[in-house]
Amino acid sequence: MPHPSFLDEIETRSGVTVSECYQCCRCTNGCPVARDMGIVPHRVIGHILNGQRDKVLASTSPWKCLQCATCSLRCPNGIDIAHVFETLRQLAIESGLAVKNDVWHFDHLIIDSVARHGRLCELATIIRYRLSKKEFLKDAAMGLDMMKKGRIGLSSHNVRDRKRLGTVIRDMRERRDT
Amino acid sequence: MISLSYYPGCSLTSSSAFYDRSLRKVLTFYGVRLRELEDWSCCGAAAAPAMNEDLADVLSARNIAIAERSGLHLLAPCSACYARTKAGALKIAGHRRMRELVNETLAPMSVSGSVEVKNIIEAFLEYVGVERIAASAAYDIGSIRAVPYYGCLLTRIMDVPSSDDVEDPSGMDVLLNALGAAVLPWQFKTECCGAGSTVTDSDRTAQLSGRIMTMAQKAGANVIVTTCPLCQLNLDLTVHLRRDLADIPVFFLTEIFELALFGSAAGSKHHLISTADIEGSVEILGGDSA
Repeated sequence: MPHPSFLDEIETRSGVTVSECYQCCRCTNGCPVARDMGIVPHRVIGHILNGQRDKVLASTSPWKCLQCATCSLRCPNGIDIAHVFETLRQLAIESGLAVKNDVWHFDHLIIDSVARHGRLCELATIIRYRLSKKEFLKDAAMGLDMMKKGRIGLSSHNVRDRKRLGTVIRDMRERRDT
Repeated sequence: MISLSYYPGCSLTSSSAFYDRSLRKVLTFYGVRLRELEDWSCCGAAAAPAMNEDLADVLSARNIAIAERSGLHLLAPCSACYARTKAGALKIAGHRRMRELVNETLAPMSVSGSVEVKNIIEAFLEYVGVERIAASAAYDIGSIRAVPYYGCLLTRIMDVPSSDDVEDPSGMDVLLNALGAAVLPWQFKTECCGAGSTVTDSDRTAQLSGRIMTMAQKAGANVIVTTCPLCQLNLDLTVHLRRDLADIPVFFLTEIFELALFGSAAGSKHHLISTADIEGSVEILGGDSA
């Protein structure tokens, strides 16, 4: 069922004027991951224009996007498509329509680490992610080599002001998540 | 003697700590003094803006607030830190709502968005200069056939004017030429390496970074040079993710400076793809090679 207000919702939330799109496909042509997207970028934008809210928010596309912003750079109408995709992630989660994906989960673990330490503790974050996925041996040889060559930081660097920063981060997340 | 404030970012204190040491060594050689931001925090990278834009703005604002106290220009060598901080400063300066939000949230810190943010290429070009760099090379690195790899976030930052061409940047080409390396033309300067997908979907990184490695080989390169810690790591990891490909060492730009200035790169043992052949081919300038 089309939701005619979906275009407004996206434009207000993202601040991007999606309605200027004339479906030239330049975003899709430049996208390094378009072939893995359920719906390719210019069609995502097309569906937004047509109010296909459920279809867009339930698609894998926002989660495949790597935020390289080639699409936004090449859009002849200056539409920041990469930013629209960030907005789609947030709306997909908030609406409960998001497909199961690891990206959101991993992003949360990263911000958790920042809330705790003020900085990203790489090793602890990756271990938490692997444990939560029960992927105990995934890329283990690669991890060992990285460890051997000193490419995984073992110590966490705590910011002195981390308590206050942690409170700020948690407050802002709750405000949006609820 | 010039002083810059310095935002190393999380990667340069952990997985790419040797990049931090390399750039400090090289900039010290040129008389550039770095003053690390006091108690800096994570920029939020790609995770924060995807989750919550206000949170991303606050995270970048905190570091900008610290940088503004010194009045110095800010060097951010990591591409994500550079992009987040540079975009953040412009947004704070130009958008009243955001300026109010971050100042309210971070009080008693205060921030106006006035800081000048520079990446490492801009820092070399603007504060050291190409002539000085060309004159400073003590070792012959002419055996290096480099493809400069810029990645996404050095030039492609939305709503932020780039100091280089967005599709075909050349700042790193100029620096490598000045140091005496051969710079090869190729079309993959700003392609995406797979970014953070290495953890959640390593096949994606294998595909995208693998394509970059393949094209570097086709261009005839024996070295890939980058400035971004995540790009360096992802390309270096192709030794595990893409065993079918030739191994081309992936250097940080400052390590090529080390080779040209000092004849060796101090962090070579941290490379996953061996750099030994390249380091072995560097000779002292004017020395007797026989």
